[in-house]
Amino acid sequence: MRQAFLGLLALGLMAASGLAQARAAEGERTFFPAPAQQARVLNLTAATDLEAMAPLIRGFQKTAPDVAVDFRDMVTNDLFEKAERACAEQRPEADLLISSAVDQLVALANDGCVLAHRSRETSALPAWANWRDEVFGFSFEPAVIVYDSRHVPPEDVPESHADLADLLRLKPDRYRGKIGTYDISKSAIGYLLAFYDSQQAPMTYGRLLESFGRAGTLTRCCNKDVLDALEDGRIEIAYNVLGGYAYAFHLQHPYLRVVVPHDYTIVLSRGMVIPKQAAQPDLARRFVDYLLSAEGRAVTDRQAFYFSAANPLPDDVTGPKALMASGIGRPIAIGSALLAARDRAQRERFIAGWVDVIGPGQSR
Amino acid sequence: MAKSETSLFARMVVRVAAVLLFGAAGLVVAAWFYARTAADVAYDRLLQGAAVQIVENLAIIDGKVEVTVPASAFKLLALAERDRIFYRVIGPQGRTLTGYADLQPDPRKLPKSDEVSLLSTHFRGSPVRMAIAGRRFFDPSFTGPAYAIVAQTTEARHALISELTSRATGLVGIMSLFGLAGAVLAVGYSLRPLNRLGAALRQRDPRDLTELAVEAPREMRPFVDSINHFMGRLGGRLKQSERFVADSAHQIRTPLTAISAQLNMVDETGLDQASREHLDRARERVTEMARLIHQLLSHALVIHRFESTALAPVDLVAVTRHAFRAAVPITIDPDIVVSFEAPETPVIVMADTLSLREAITNIIDNAVRHGAVARLEVRVRTEGETQAVVEVEDDGPGIGAEDWTRLTQRFAASSGGKGVSGLGFAIASEVTQALGGRLWHRPATATERFAVVMTLPLAPEAADRKEG
Repeated sequence: MRQAFLGLLALGLMAASGLAQARAAEGERTFFPAPAQQARVLNLTAATDLEAMAPLIRGFQKTAPDVAVDFRDMVTNDLFEKAERACAEQRPEADLLISSAVDQLVALANDGCVLAHRSRETSALPAWANWRDEVFGFSFEPAVIVYDSRHVPPEDVPESHADLADLLRLKPDRYRGKIGTYDISKSAIGYLLAFYDSQQAPMTYGRLLESFGRAGTLTRCCNKDVLDALEDGRIEIAYNVLGGYAYAFHLQHPYLRVVVPHDYTIVLSRGMVIPKQAAQPDLARRFVDYLLSAEGRAVTDRQAFYFSAANPLPDDVTGPKALMASGIGRPIAIGSALLAARDRAQRERFIAGWVDVIGPGQSR
Repeated sequence: MAKSETSLFARMVVRVAAVLLFGAAGLVVAAWFYARTAADVAYDRLLQGAAVQIVENLAIIDGKVEVTVPASAFKLLALAERDRIFYRVIGPQGRTLTGYADLQPDPRKLPKSDEVSLLSTHFRGSPVRMAIAGRRFFDPSFTGPAYAIVAQTTEARHALISELTSRATGLVGIMSLFGLAGAVLAVGYSLRPLNRLGAALRQRDPRDLTELAVEAPREMRPFVDSINHFMGRLGGRLKQSERFVADSAHQIRTPLTAISAQLNMVDETGLDQASREHLDRARERVTEMARLIHQLLSHALVIHRFESTALAPVDLVAVTRHAFRAAVPITIDPDIVVSFEAPETPVIVMADTLSLREAITNIIDNAVRHGAVARLEVRVRTEGETQAVVEVEDDGPGIGAEDWTRLTQRFAASSGGKGVSGLGFAIASEVTQALGGRLWHRPATATERFAVVMTLPLAPEAADRKEG
């Protein structure tokens, strides 16, 4: 056990140094020992990759040296189900939940499963990133297109949703089986992004979906798997990948290029909630405040998710420079409107429609 | 002293404030009711809209009721930003098509088809407002009602209510403060004549019993009239008692003269030492009494003269010299150095000669009797352009401030045993005030001797003459 911890710690350190390609399989546990004498352990469950979380956890430990962090990485749906169950059974689960599927977090808050937290940091959040002082968005992650510049010629690079649909329509054979995206029946964040696509631009969404269907699109459960397929060379264009992960991947594989669509870009703010049954809500609140503080934000923007609302896009990313100011960036507002995406009937119908078009054959 | 009651100002302001307070409280309650109604109307519309949208989106496809919850319905509800949303769609046989299966409204509150009912209830421990939209299907596969239930917590309503109410309260508060400030100003303004009257009464000479000449509003007229009437009566009583004193003095003088004569005729030779001393004491007392009677009479005379005689220009030097001669007896102790200083030219004041001489005589007489040990100086001079001064200085111990006040008061002088000055100062003071002057004393210091000083205004013509 101890050795496992040390191994995981080494993994974490490598991730933080940015040298290694360390990857934590989803559902894995990583222990961050306290830098000083350990007094308490924060139980953090997140549907977020370790590479992104590690610098934030370490940054937090600088402000709280006596706190160890027990980090558990889970896929969004598992995290939601576990939290829902824990809430129904009134049983303590984690101290803090972080998930990219903010609609699930909003559903938890709507069902009264989370604690409120008010502080200077939370009140500084924009309205769309704070619901009821219960669900807080702390990152800024545009949904982007990633392409392999070794195979996709510059004239084919899709710079918008419409471009992508046109490309697949004009060169269906060239890109058959070379497009990848989330399997929305398995990925909550994939579903949320697709749902928002259909809300933002129903026409484009319909064309895109149809094009995906004809192009024999590869679907994968998660971000990582989509990006891995890109790295393997199985696909050449990945659609609706979260910008932070995509850019981190680009830093490791410079030939993988990131495009922020210029017709509209869905922007996700990764959410966090403190479950009602959290054993140490005070510790969770400290972590929340750290993530929302200037220091936490600096780490988020530079080392974890690379994009921010205030700063322009990184230089080597194609796309509109002033994402928010131009109105192209469409943040997914954290609020009760997200419950529409959570509706069971809605979800079943939407996924059924999607599967109908894309076809289940390509999924894994 | 009368019991001190709260001021008229306080009475009025407190009552006005109470009325304003009650009014304000009433308005705030009314504002709260309005705000509640407004908030309910506003947010009920959203709720109704959402429920209707959901129920209208129900469709029968292939013999099955299909539900598509429109995202716009949630966007509508999300306008109440902080509120949690619960919903349920009920299809045939009361089956839950989607949403919260435990959202169970009172069956009696279910609306008839194509209507929307609203109710306030609780769900999962939170107060919620609920809208139920009904719709009746007439399809071969399904004939019957379907419902969309939408419930929302009431935070936004309460926020709106408290915002509207607090704004209204702020406005009512400001209005009330203006009202109160206006009342304070108005009451203060209305009471000003009362203060003026009070000031006029306060500044009045205690002996001035003439009518008040203060402008008073109509409401205060009876009050002023009463005061004037009262003063008239008081004046009458005072005159009566003065006349009584004068008459009594006059009546007493004759028997007193007889007693004095009788005492003088007593043959002392046959008397032993003790009886002789008794006799001497009786003579002393009679003399004292005669002087007192004389003073009472001269006081009455002075009063009478001021009431009946007009003032005329008088040479103060001449009057003082006359008084000096009258007051300083020839038999005065030769060890006392007596002096009289006066300017060569006459010093003219407006006065009644007799009264003025009486006053000055009394002052000098007092110095001779009770003050001077080795020196007595009487001086007449002018001071500046307008003042004439008579100064009686002696090297005695002087008079203390308390005694001075007592001595110059009418009828209050004759208390105490030996060494009383009788009514002398009271008369002098009375005369000086009647002539518009001032009688005061200068206490003895290391460098200066004690002096009683009478200051009188110079007659205007005299001043003119001096200039000319």
